[in-house]
Amino acid sequence: MFSVLSYGRLVARAVLGGLSQTDPRAGGGGGGGGGSSGDYGLVTAGCGFGKDFRKGLLKKGACYGDDACFVARHRSADVLGVADGVGGWRDYGVDPSQFSGTLMRTCERLVKEGRFVPSNPVGILTTSYCELLQNKVPLLGSSTACIVVLDRSSHRLHTANLGDSGFLVVRGGEVVHRSDEQQHYFNTPFQLSIAPPEAEGVVLSDSPDAADSTSFDVQLGDIILTATDGLFDNMPDYMILQELKKLKNSNYESIQRTARSIAEQAHELAYDPNYMSPFAQFACDNGLNVRGGKPDDITVLLSIVAEYTD
Amino acid sequence: MSPVFPMLTVLTMFYYMCLRRRARTATRGDMMNSHRTIVSNSRTSPLNAEVVQYAKEVVDFSSHYGSENSMSYTMWNLAGVPNVFPSSGDFTQTAVFRTYGTWWDQCPSASLPFRRTPSSFQSQDYVELTFEQQVYPTAVHVLETYHPGAVIRILACSANPYSPNPPAEVRWEILWSERPMKVNASQARQFKPCIKQINFPTNLIRLEVNSSLLDYYTELDAVVLHGTKDKPLLSLKTALVDMNDLEDDDYEEKDGCEMDALNKKFSSAALGDGPHNGYFDKLPYELIQLILNHLSLPDLCRLAQTCRLLHQHCCDPLQYIHLNLQPYWARLDDTSLEFLQARCVLVQWLNLSWTGNRGFISVSGFSRFLKVCGSELVRLELSCSHFLNDTCLEVISEMCPNLQDLNLSSCDKLPPQAFGHIAKLCSLKRLVLYRTKVEQTALLSILNFCAELQHLSLGSCVMIEDYDVIASMIGAKCKNLRTLDLWRCKNITENGIAELASGCVLLEELDLGWCPTLQSSTGCFVRLARQLPNLQKLFLTANRSVCDTDIEELASNCTRLQQLDILGTRMVSPASLRKLLESCKDLSLLDVSFCSQIDNKAVLELNASFPKVFIKKSFTQ
Repeated sequence: MFSVLSYGRLVARAVLGGLSQTDPRAGGGGGGGGGSSGDYGLVTAGCGFGKDFRKGLLKKGACYGDDACFVARHRSADVLGVADGVGGWRDYGVDPSQFSGTLMRTCERLVKEGRFVPSNPVGILTTSYCELLQNKVPLLGSSTACIVVLDRSSHRLHTANLGDSGFLVVRGGEVVHRSDEQQHYFNTPFQLSIAPPEAEGVVLSDSPDAADSTSFDVQLGDIILTATDGLFDNMPDYMILQELKKLKNSNYESIQRTARSIAEQAHELAYDPNYMSPFAQFACDNGLNVRGGKPDDITVLLSIVAEYTD
Repeated sequence: MSPVFPMLTVLTMFYYMCLRRRARTATRGDMMNSHRTIVSNSRTSPLNAEVVQYAKEVVDFSSHYGSENSMSYTMWNLAGVPNVFPSSGDFTQTAVFRTYGTWWDQCPSASLPFRRTPSSFQSQDYVELTFEQQVYPTAVHVLETYHPGAVIRILACSANPYSPNPPAEVRWEILWSERPMKVNASQARQFKPCIKQINFPTNLIRLEVNSSLLDYYTELDAVVLHGTKDKPLLSLKTALVDMNDLEDDDYEEKDGCEMDALNKKFSSAALGDGPHNGYFDKLPYELIQLILNHLSLPDLCRLAQTCRLLHQHCCDPLQYIHLNLQPYWARLDDTSLEFLQARCVLVQWLNLSWTGNRGFISVSGFSRFLKVCGSELVRLELSCSHFLNDTCLEVISEMCPNLQDLNLSSCDKLPPQAFGHIAKLCSLKRLVLYRTKVEQTALLSILNFCAELQHLSLGSCVMIEDYDVIASMIGAKCKNLRTLDLWRCKNITENGIAELASGCVLLEELDLGWCPTLQSSTGCFVRLARQLPNLQKLFLTANRSVCDTDIEELASNCTRLQQLDILGTRMVSPASLRKLLESCKDLSLLDVSFCSQIDNKAVLELNASFPKVFIKKSFTQ
C-alpha cells in the first residue's frame, strides 16, 4: 500500500537514477562529474604573438616568431606540442624558427602516421629529433620542447618537457598539475640542438632523454594550458586562472577567445616596464635588480578534455 | 523432338529480324560500330560506383634512399595521402629509390649484364603497395613530385594480402608497360597511364621503375587506385597494342611448353624422319648453337618442341650458361625450376632476383635446383628473393663451392644466423648485403675467410654494432678490396677509416654517405685522400663536416676521381671545387646539393668552365 508521497518518491528516484545512467555518448545529456566510459578528446585552440609585434591567428603547425607549435589527432590519442627556438642563433646567421618549426612539423607527421606510443611522449621527441638529422637540408639551431599526449581510451595525459616551456592542468579553478622548468642556469633552459660540426662541444645540446616525463589521469572538463615561457614569464598563475574562469563551455570558439585573451594580456604585460613580472621576480631573487615584463615570443595552446567525437 | 527446338528457331529468327532492322535504320558508320563495339557507358551505374583509394601499406620494395625506421626519403611514404604534391622539390616526406641515372653502372662496382636478357625488361627497382578494398582497376595514378618519368610498368596481383586464407592461385597481370622515356620537365606531375582492363579484382599493385634517363633521384608521393567493386560491363575497347599481349603470351606459353616437356610426349609420326628440314641440319653443331644464342629463354623453350634436332640443341646445357630468370619473376615457380633443371647443369651465372615471392618458389624447390645445377655456379643474384631462409644459404654454401659473386640485396627477411654459411664460400669476390640483417659475428667470420673479396656492400646493414671493428677487419684481411659500400653505417669513426685506408690501398670506390660520426677535424678525409690514390668514386653524402681542406687534398691526391658527392656541407667553397675540377680531369658527377656556400650562380660558373661535369644541385622549393 503506497501513499502518493512514497509513490512520488519512488518515481523520482527511478527517474533520477535513470538519468544518471544515460549513456553519455548519446549526445549531450549525462550528469556532471564522474568518469565516463567513452573515449576522451581534446578540443584545442591556440594563439600567439611573435616578439616583433607580428600578430597571428593559429594555424596548426604555425610559427610565432621563433616559437612553433602543432596539434595533431590520431585514432588513439590527441597530441599537441610547443617549441621555443633559441634566439641566440640569429647572431650566427641561423634562423632560429627553422629548427623549432621543423621539429614541431616532424612531431605532427609522426603522430598522424601513428609512429608513436601514447604513453611515451619522450619517444616522440627522440624520434622527431632523429628525423631532423635525416634531412638532406643541414638544419641548425636549438629549441625547447613540450609534448602533451591524451590517451583516448585510458583517459591519461602523458607529457614530456625539455626546457622552460611547459603546461598547466586546471581543474575546478585550481592548478592540479604543472610542468617543471629545466634550466642549466639563468635564462639557459635545456634544449635540443643541432650544431655545426666546428662548434660541437661548445654549443649546449641536451639529449631528448633528458626530458621530464609525467603521466596522470584527467577528467572531463579539465583545462590544459600548454605554452612557451613567453607566457609564464609574464603572467603569474593567478592571472591565468582568472582568465580561465571566464571559459564557460567547451566549444572551439570560447576556447579560441580565451586563448587569445590570455596571449594578448601576456603580450601587453611583456612590454610594461613597471610591471613586476614573474621573470623580473625570479631575476631579483637571483640578485639581478630588474623590473618589467619580458618581451618574448608567446605561444598559447588551450585545450579542454571533452568526449571524443569524430 | 522436344518443343524446344522450334521455339529456339523462332526466337533466333526474331532476334535476327530485330538486328537487321536496327542495322537498316542506322547509317553505315553506326552499323559498323554496333557490330564492333558495345559502348561502355562512361557514367557507371550507381551499383558499380567508382572507388578511389590511396595506398594502405607498402609491403615490399627493392631499395630506398632513407634509413630503416625513418620516415625521411623512405618507401613507406608512398602509402597514404600525398604529403607534398603538387609542390615540386626534394622533400623528406616522399618515397625515393637508392639510385638514379647511369652512375651506378659506370662505377667500379658495376656488374656486367646477363646474356639473353630480353630488351623489353628494363625494370631496375620495384615497390608493392596494398589497398584497403579489392577493385577492378580502371586507373592508377602516380603522384610524382621530383624528376618524374621513372615508372615503366604497373602490375596487379590477384592475391589479397589481407585475406586469412592463402590464395589458391596467385596471378600477376601487367596493367601498363612502356619503355623508359625522357620526361622534359622536372616538375611535379600526376602520372595517369592508360591501363588495360583485367578480369580479377585486386588490391595489390606493383610499380616497376627505371631511373636511367633521369637527371636526379625521382621522388614519388602517393599512388591512387581507381576501380569498381563489381566487374565492369564487357567492353571491347580497342586496347593498346601488343607489348602487354606479347608479354602475356610469353608467360602463358612458357607454362605451355613446361607442361609439354614434363609430359615428354613426342610422337615420331609428327616429327617425321624425312629430308624436309631444308638442309638446316647440314650446318655444324656449333653454328646452330650460335644461332640459338640469340633467342630469348621462352623462345628457346618453344623451339625445343618443334623437332628432335632442335630439341637436342635447345636442351644443350651450353645454352644455359647464363640464366637470367628475373624478367620472368611473375610466373617463375617450382615447376619451372624443375623443368629447367635438366638443362642447366653447367650454369655459371644465375639470376633469381625478385623471384619466388608469395609462395611461388619453395625452399625445397630451390635446394633441389641448386643440388643439380650448383656445382659450376660462379655468380648468383638473389636480390629481394624473400623465399630464402637459413637452409637455402646452407645449400648454397655446400653446393656452390666456386661461387664468386653473391647478391642478397634487400633480403631483409633472412634471419641473422643464415649469414654464417657465407663464410664457407672462400672464393667470393663480390658480396652484396645491402639492407640485410647480417650481424657482426657472421660478418667478421665472412671477412676472415673470404680473403679474395674485391667488392663488398654493407649499405644499411643496421644490425652491425660497431663498424670500426668491421673496418679494422676489412683493412686487415681484404687486401684485394676495390669497392666498399658503407652507406648509412651509423657509427664508423676515424679509427675505422684509418685501418681501412692503410689496409685496402687498392680501393677505387668508397661510399660513406650518411655516416654522421665521421668528423673532418680528425683528418680522416685527408688520410683517405692521401692513402687511396686510386679512388674513382667517393660519396660523403650528408657529412656536414667536409671542408675546403678535404677537397683540396682530394684534388692533389685522387686525380682519377670520377664521382663525388658532398651533399649538405656548409664548409666547402666554390674556389676549392674549382681546384678539384681542374685537377681531376675524369670527374663526371659532382653532387653539391644543399651546400650552402655553393649557390646556383656558382654552379653555373663552374659548369661554364667544366661543361663535361654533371654538377647536381637539388632543392626543396
